[in-house]
Amino acid sequence: MKRGAPAPGRSLSLFVDEAAAKASVHARLECVACHKTASAPHDAPLPAVRCAECHAKARGALSEGVHGSAKARAPTCAGCHGTHAVASAASLGIETCAACHARQVTLYRESIHARSRQRGDSQAATCRSCHGEAHALLAKTDARAPTYHLNLPRTCAQCHADPELAKRYNIPIGNVYQLYMDSIHGRALTRSGLLVAANCSDCHGAHEIKPRAEPASRVFRANVPKTCGACHAGILAAYAESVHGTHVAKGNLKAPVCTDCHSAHQIRRVEGAPWQLEAIRECGTCHEESLKTYRDTFHGKVTALGYTRVAKCSDCHGAHTILPPSDPRSTVSPAKLVATCRQCHPQAMAAFAEFHPHADYRNKERFPRLYYTYLFMSGLLVAVLASFGLHALLWLPRSLLERLRRGRAGGDTRGEP
Amino acid sequence: MNGGARYYFRLNLYHRILHGMVIVSFLGLAVTGLPLKYSQTGWGWWLSHLLGGPFTTGYLHRFFAIVTFCYFALHLGYVARLILTGRRGVFWGPASMVPQPRDFVQLAQHVRYFLGLGPRPRFDRWAYWEKFDYWAVFWGVAVIGASGLLLWFPTFFARYLPGWIFNVAILIHSDEALLAVAFIFTIHFFNVHLRPEKFPMDPVIFTGRLEEEEFRREHAAEYERLRAEGRLETLRADPPPRWMRNFSRVAGFTALAIGIILIWLIVATALR
Repeated sequence: MKRGAPAPGRSLSLFVDEAAAKASVHARLECVACHKTASAPHDAPLPAVRCAECHAKARGALSEGVHGSAKARAPTCAGCHGTHAVASAASLGIETCAACHARQVTLYRESIHARSRQRGDSQAATCRSCHGEAHALLAKTDARAPTYHLNLPRTCAQCHADPELAKRYNIPIGNVYQLYMDSIHGRALTRSGLLVAANCSDCHGAHEIKPRAEPASRVFRANVPKTCGACHAGILAAYAESVHGTHVAKGNLKAPVCTDCHSAHQIRRVEGAPWQLEAIRECGTCHEESLKTYRDTFHGKVTALGYTRVAKCSDCHGAHTILPPSDPRSTVSPAKLVATCRQCHPQAMAAFAEFHPHADYRNKERFPRLYYTYLFMSGLLVAVLASFGLHALLWLPRSLLERLRRGRAGGDTRGEP
Repeated sequence: MNGGARYYFRLNLYHRILHGMVIVSFLGLAVTGLPLKYSQTGWGWWLSHLLGGPFTTGYLHRFFAIVTFCYFALHLGYVARLILTGRRGVFWGPASMVPQPRDFVQLAQHVRYFLGLGPRPRFDRWAYWEKFDYWAVFWGVAVIGASGLLLWFPTFFARYLPGWIFNVAILIHSDEALLAVAFIFTIHFFNVHLRPEKFPMDPVIFTGRLEEEEFRREHAAEYERLRAEGRLETLRADPPPRWMRNFSRVAGFTALAIGIILIWLIVATALR
């Protein structure tokens, strides 16, 4: 005979497994300890057992939380703890929760937290780690719940603010909580209480959290645009059209996704100078040659000095909409170039736009005029300094002799007394 | 001071004021221009921020450019005046700045003298290296000034010139400026101030006065020529007053120090 959890509408066996009762935490209790009105044998079904008579504290806690609410589907004591085989709270696992929350538990079983537990790591998060103690458990819509949108980061931080933990589990970012809290998302959440600001689960998922190396993870490179696009839909639409977006869609994981420029946990306002200057260097990690030639120009030098009031990569090329110059929609296509220059140089004409902002004087094939100018200027520099340098070197000992000779003769009457 | 020493004017007040403008504007241009050229070095960043950032530095740079254009114009006006007042020998002759066959001969003689193979050449008013300095500034102002103007008013000049000219202008402005700075802060400083006979500095550019003994040694041909023509005594000067000597030292050593620090930073960056 199999014992099942009692549920509304299901008939209960009247059979009482004495062995189970004796093995339970209530082993030392007599039947009448719970079934107070019972006499043996009895004909009528016994009235419901009132666990709260002994477990007043649990009753109190339940009355605060969603599990004790008047909702029809709220669990009974026996629903989680069993009847005669009543189990200790510590021994209850995710199966207990799965009785009602099957979908969430199924997702959880695939998550990094569940898999860590399967590997024997007792510290990995389980239902209660995030949702709190079962009796007083609060729905995530409750502003007091640890899973409430504004509270979740602090809940995750119970474990993920610990750099030791990050080290132990090879999590690449140890100070993720601090970084997030300083980010635009974290500030919107903590300072403004914005419910639309991304918290941990908006990007990582809740029950299904997976490491970013797994293709099924919401933070896997190829999935990042979709994850960010869940809120930033307009940006995603522009990005998907861009040269970077189309490359990622084709499976080129070297092409940048949102987090390459904006970072994951340190996302800052794009108006800030530090981020804008960093974005230039970020472009340069792939477009090395372009960054080098950019630094040869006034634009590149001013930004190198920490000022942003000149053209940065995105001012000419666009940010999310970036397209190659061959594409007529591109801001650097021949048809649109003058308009692009005019953003800062309102007087710019076609000839002005012929200035090559990425000219390379070392490249003889593409920029012969610059190359030969450079060659001439360098030759002049070397020739002048070498010939006059030699002249000075030859003169030095002679001049020294002259001064010594004059000094000995006592004839030094030059300016200094 | 040597009480009995006699002094002669080598440079008049106009010369000295103009060279003062050269010193101030050249150092100003170097100090405000180099931080941009070396924006990727620590000292470039530091110097730029010390001067108020690249935009403030840019305004200062253009201010010193205006000073440069002023002395250039003032000098051309001075030469024009010399010609209009009938001065002879401006374009040719012993007192002219124009290079002449004698200069090449004296260069060869000077090298022989360095090697101990001959006597010191008898220079006239301008020795060949002084003429080189003069024409180097002339060429430099023209080249750096023209390319700088292009970069100052790019949208204006783009109406008449192709856009690639600005790429060339950036390169020329930067490289020619490096040549100018490197030349002035090493070669000019050595030839004029730091060589042992003059060390630590020659104050003549501030005082305008040259001691007779030095006049005879450094510009023997001129000294003899002026004496033979009977014009030497018209150049007789009082000894430089104390304030002038003090001013020379302060201004001169300041300029030398700025130049030497800058060239040291440039060389250190190149060697790194």
